[in-house]
Amino acid sequence: MSSDKGGGVTVSGLTVRHRRTLALDAVDLDFAPGVHGLLGPNGAGKTSLIRVLATVAAPTAGRVSLLGGDISNHRERTEARRRLGYLPQEFGYYPGFTVREFVAYVAWLKEMPAASVPGAVERVVERVGLADRIDAKVKSLSGGMIRRVGIAQALVNDPALLLLDEPTAGLDPEQRFEFRALLRDVGTASTVIVSTHLVEDVATACTEVTLLDAGRVAYRGTPGELSALGDERRPGQEADPLGDNPIERGYTTVLRSHRQLLPEARR
Amino acid sequence: MNTHGTPPPPPSWHVPPDPAARYAAGTAPEPDAWSLEKHVEACGTCAGRVSEAVRAGAAGPELALGRAELLRLVESLPGRADPTGMARAAGTTGAPVSTARAPRAPAKAGSPAAQRRLRTHRLLWALGPALRLGWVVGVLLVALGAVLLAYGAGQAVARPLLLAVAPVVPVAGVAASYGRHTDPLHELHASMPGGNLRLLLRRTACALGLSMPVLTAAGAVLPAAEGVPGAAAWLLPGLALALGALALGSWIGCRRASAVVGGGWALAVTAPALGEEGLPLHITPYIDAFAPQASWAAAAVVCAGLLTVRRTFFDRMERA
Repeated sequence: MSSDKGGGVTVSGLTVRHRRTLALDAVDLDFAPGVHGLLGPNGAGKTSLIRVLATVAAPTAGRVSLLGGDISNHRERTEARRRLGYLPQEFGYYPGFTVREFVAYVAWLKEMPAASVPGAVERVVERVGLADRIDAKVKSLSGGMIRRVGIAQALVNDPALLLLDEPTAGLDPEQRFEFRALLRDVGTASTVIVSTHLVEDVATACTEVTLLDAGRVAYRGTPGELSALGDERRPGQEADPLGDNPIERGYTTVLRSHRQLLPEARR
Repeated sequence: MNTHGTPPPPPSWHVPPDPAARYAAGTAPEPDAWSLEKHVEACGTCAGRVSEAVRAGAAGPELALGRAELLRLVESLPGRADPTGMARAAGTTGAPVSTARAPRAPAKAGSPAAQRRLRTHRLLWALGPALRLGWVVGVLLVALGAVLLAYGAGQAVARPLLLAVAPVVPVAGVAASYGRHTDPLHELHASMPGGNLRLLLRRTACALGLSMPVLTAAGAVLPAAEGVPGAAAWLLPGLALALGALALGSWIGCRRASAVVGGGWALAVTAPALGEEGLPLHITPYIDAFAPQASWAAAAVVCAGLLTVRRTFFDRMERA
């Protein structure tokens, strides 16, 4: 295994079925180091994809390679898990823990060398701006701060693959701004995949956008290319029904044309 | 972060006095501060200059104090190798720079004290969430209830009752502490290398570690009754049932396995005694004498073996 932090993610023919609904339908994707935005309406399959990549949910069909390892293989999956950071959409915590204890607990379960844990915990808590609350109980923190604890635990092992499911929910505008800067910073060396429903997160923080709709990939490109699609269609109209800014208009344009192409995928 | 292993290239520039002063005062912009820090790692001249600026700055008095303290410590060390060398190092080079940047940090990062603190916490982490309050209260209530029943109401059934209930208490503890339904961190645990079987085993050990002494002690203070086994007779069955629940859990999940094992035990204990007089408890034949105990021990070994064989099934990914 190379010491290279990259490695990236390759997904081929990935299908995830929840009982009778098809969450992902034979999706082929690859993610190189950088910040990747995962956009799409509710139920598009964003969370299903993130949970498969986090090795929490098993795919119904298809192959998933994380950081050079096949996740259906027990040993390679364990190896990938050590280099993974994951913030689930519903982030649970033990109320009795302090920030320091919680992040260290996660570091321990990620099998980091014990000697490096105390230092890594302090660095990452400082990085998310909670250094002054490091010994506060997690339950005493505000919603936005708890979210940042969640980001800290995902980052503590300096992950080669960082998966964030709706990380900006509950952050105020200033915190979102700082958070995007943090994402860009992490994305210089690691593969970051962020699911969000806020197009401005994608516009400012991501190097690449993947738009999912009804379990399929509706669009891939850079945020600039997606904005350009919005500019072409509706130049200079006021109160545009497609959205307030170019990237929102681009998003809506892509979704509409994707649904016209795939009428059977419409819900 | 730092790239290790590559020798630093010879510095092509040096830190001018002005940025050094700004750095010392903590007013340098972050990127400047970083590049300066990187530079002084490789350049002794600049490190000295920055240190001087820092000592002359606001953090100076604190640093002087720290240095004096350090020197005193070094002097007092028995069999010190080179006190003067260390003193010189503490006085001039990198050390003051790195401390000056973060005078307010709670820090002591990686210090032995911090590591010791986290090591004790490690035990508590496994314990803390495992010992769910409801379950701990349950264990204490079972123990207290048996004692009260025996001495308050003068009931001779207290001991058989305790012996019948005790073996499923650790199983209940495992079910209460691990899994999607009871653990708020389950989603995260499932994504981490140490979050599956290793964590489950620790929590089972904690559940056994708390319930075994408490319930055995409670049993020991109960009045001895004719034909009823001793207070420790439930230990092997309790261990075997807990391991059995874990092994079965590799097929059907811990919560369902705990329910099956607990329910099976309850049925085995009550069903044969249904028609009898008094409290319908069929417990003595299961745990009294050598043969049943040896069977429980054998069952525990078999379950432990099964668990070892099936260990990879615990970190299988959830199927939709």
